[in-house]
Amino acid sequence: MDFELIGQLIRLRYRLLWAKTRSRTGKIALFMAGYLLLMPLLILLSLGGFGAGLAAVRLGRAEQIAQGVLTGLYLTATITSVVLGFGLNAIFSDMELRRYPLRFQERFVARHLTGIVDPFWLLFLALYVGLAIGLWGYGAGSLFLEPVAVVALFISNYLLAQLAAAVLDRVMQKKSGSVLVPLVIFGLCLTPSLVAPQVQKNPAALAGVVRVLRYSAPFGAGSLMTRTDMTALNGFALNVTWVLVLVTALVALETRPRRTRAPQSTRIRWDTPYDRAAAMFSPRYAPLVANWMRFYLRCSRFRIAYLMSIPLVPLLIFIFPRQTHGNPFVTALGIFAIAGFAPTGAFAVNQFGYVGSGFRRYLLLPAGPAATLRSSSYTLVALSSVVLPLSLLGWLLLAPVRSDGRMFLMLLGCGVTGLFLFHGIGLWTTLFGARRADYYATMGNDLSLVGNVVLIGGMLGCLFLPRLLERTLAPLVAPENWWVVIPAALAAGAFYFASLRQTGGILVAKREKLLAMTEGRS
Amino acid sequence: MRTDAISISRLVKKYGATTAVEDLSLRVRSGIIFGFLGPNGSGKSTTIGCLTGLLDPTAGEIEILGQRFNAENAGLKRRMGVMPETLGLFEPLYAHEFLAFVARMFGLDEGNTRQRVTELLEALELTDTSKTLSEYSTGMRKRVAFAAAVIHSPEVLFLDEPFESIDPAGVALMKQWLRKFTEQGRTVFLTSHVLETVERLCEEVAIIATPGKLVWQGDVTTFGREGAIRYDGREFDALEPLFLHLTGEKHAELKWL
Repeated sequence: MDFELIGQLIRLRYRLLWAKTRSRTGKIALFMAGYLLLMPLLILLSLGGFGAGLAAVRLGRAEQIAQGVLTGLYLTATITSVVLGFGLNAIFSDMELRRYPLRFQERFVARHLTGIVDPFWLLFLALYVGLAIGLWGYGAGSLFLEPVAVVALFISNYLLAQLAAAVLDRVMQKKSGSVLVPLVIFGLCLTPSLVAPQVQKNPAALAGVVRVLRYSAPFGAGSLMTRTDMTALNGFALNVTWVLVLVTALVALETRPRRTRAPQSTRIRWDTPYDRAAAMFSPRYAPLVANWMRFYLRCSRFRIAYLMSIPLVPLLIFIFPRQTHGNPFVTALGIFAIAGFAPTGAFAVNQFGYVGSGFRRYLLLPAGPAATLRSSSYTLVALSSVVLPLSLLGWLLLAPVRSDGRMFLMLLGCGVTGLFLFHGIGLWTTLFGARRADYYATMGNDLSLVGNVVLIGGMLGCLFLPRLLERTLAPLVAPENWWVVIPAALAAGAFYFASLRQTGGILVAKREKLLAMTEGRS
Repeated sequence: MRTDAISISRLVKKYGATTAVEDLSLRVRSGIIFGFLGPNGSGKSTTIGCLTGLLDPTAGEIEILGQRFNAENAGLKRRMGVMPETLGLFEPLYAHEFLAFVARMFGLDEGNTRQRVTELLEALELTDTSKTLSEYSTGMRKRVAFAAAVIHSPEVLFLDEPFESIDPAGVALMKQWLRKFTEQGRTVFLTSHVLETVERLCEEVAIIATPGKLVWQGDVTTFGREGAIRYDGREFDALEPLFLHLTGEKHAELKWL
């Protein structure tokens, strides 16, 4: 194993990161992301872990509570990573590393050592470390065994997420992948919320779950953190086994040749569904819209997000009222707003990030850059709007409360508000928070910090704002005042069209910077 | 009297403190193949970027086909064809889809679009419809970009490194088309590092040196007619020695190589 060369590559990863700070915007971004966000978050999460460790000792059940907390963190990290794509982006691909004199094992180690130091994984490391310090500080942990437990758990957590993402990526290569992968991701997201209430109701089921979890890495790490006897040794063995199994599985998957599409000579079709759908727009925009439709609907990542959002509303309507004590209708208002942008959100906030050198082509067309931005946005709005009637149908079939026409209007109004508001914000984010993204990657998160804040913050805002309104301004979310959504939707529409107008001019002024970004020169 | 197809007057392009093009003035007659040469990083692509509306000049004026040009001049863009250095393709599309899109954007009707796309694909041997553009070889992608530049019969054609990576048969076909193109009074503005090709194909050549400064412009058909070009008190029997003389010949010996 050539550790010197691997070390050089890891240093290169940081040199590349440091190189971004040479520009003024790079320095600001590093300051914002590194010092204002990451550092306080790391400290906060360490304190959170410390608090959990403290509570575990005080309650006198250090081992069980540590195991429970670690399992929760482990699952959260894995699911968040797979669903939102955090911590999955490869800094160097295997193909890129082949140019160096490295064997497969060395390339594997280099890739994953540069991947595991992603800020996302460091946040979870902070939680694990905080817990370990909390346990040690109150006399329940060993100074020598805890670091071993933290490192082993941290590595296995990262490997599990990588393995899950790699499996899903392979599934996406199959024809049925576009349907299977969203279902699997949905299953991953929903299993904890479906299992938890059952376990709470049934203590025997809890014992069964614990019996299974005894063989998991977090349970082993919990024992290793809190015990010094044979159980600790078992915990150590368990964690080492998990790391080895996950590494073996990942190596097996990565060395397995990828399926390549069998070449099929197709007859040229001139009048495709894309062209027919785009013909609804004016002749100026129709070819552009058809082009964007082809571009988006052939993208695996787009298809996953889009197909996942179709059952989103019915499933959230089914799950949420069973987990929360609020009015299910009020919760549904927020869910409908999410349905308005979730299908296309990741692309709406970074419309040019995926086109690569295609952006240059748009600038050469006689239509002008503003028409390109508009047509892309129209395409995304049109595709997102298809999900709204399907969501209403979901509400009709699964609504946990008796519904009337006013409620339907309010739900639709919230969907339309979400649709226009977030696609309007997406236009601004496209210009000011753009980031070069990998069109062909199925998993991972290529969005900028601003893009992630808009997307994730938007979803959380939609989930919590209606409930906040219910507590503070209840009439606003009551079906009697159904008309409230009309001005909200109109305002969102006005914001969207004003944004379209404004951003067109800004795009012309910013096109050189965006050109450099899309072609990887900045 | 023929008007100039392209007229550049005191063009300056700066990126912050770095000057990419400095006070460049140039005239290109209509109906010729014009070679625009310079070493790497001398500002050729930046100049083409300014000429095609990709970049905003810091100072100076550009006229194309007798009209003042800027990035918003859609009418003029319709009369221009561009093959950019980075090709500007949409990777997930099939070649026919991409060409049809470009044709429609340049205002071709449906009948013309279908006919021209089919003819171009056949002529450039791009009839394999099983592959998207991302699956094409570099040479095939270059052919697609060339087809996209000419599909709407532009009056001025900008080609940035058009022949690199294309096989000899493809290059011969492209040259044949370009000659026919200029016989009809239309203009080609191309950059290339293959000086032999430029010498044989172009009628006029401009050579720039870093940072985007014009160091020579002249008629290269003189090589064929008179056997040499006189410059700086010396005779040059080909474009290559003249280019090296103007841009600085480099000598570096690496003992370990």
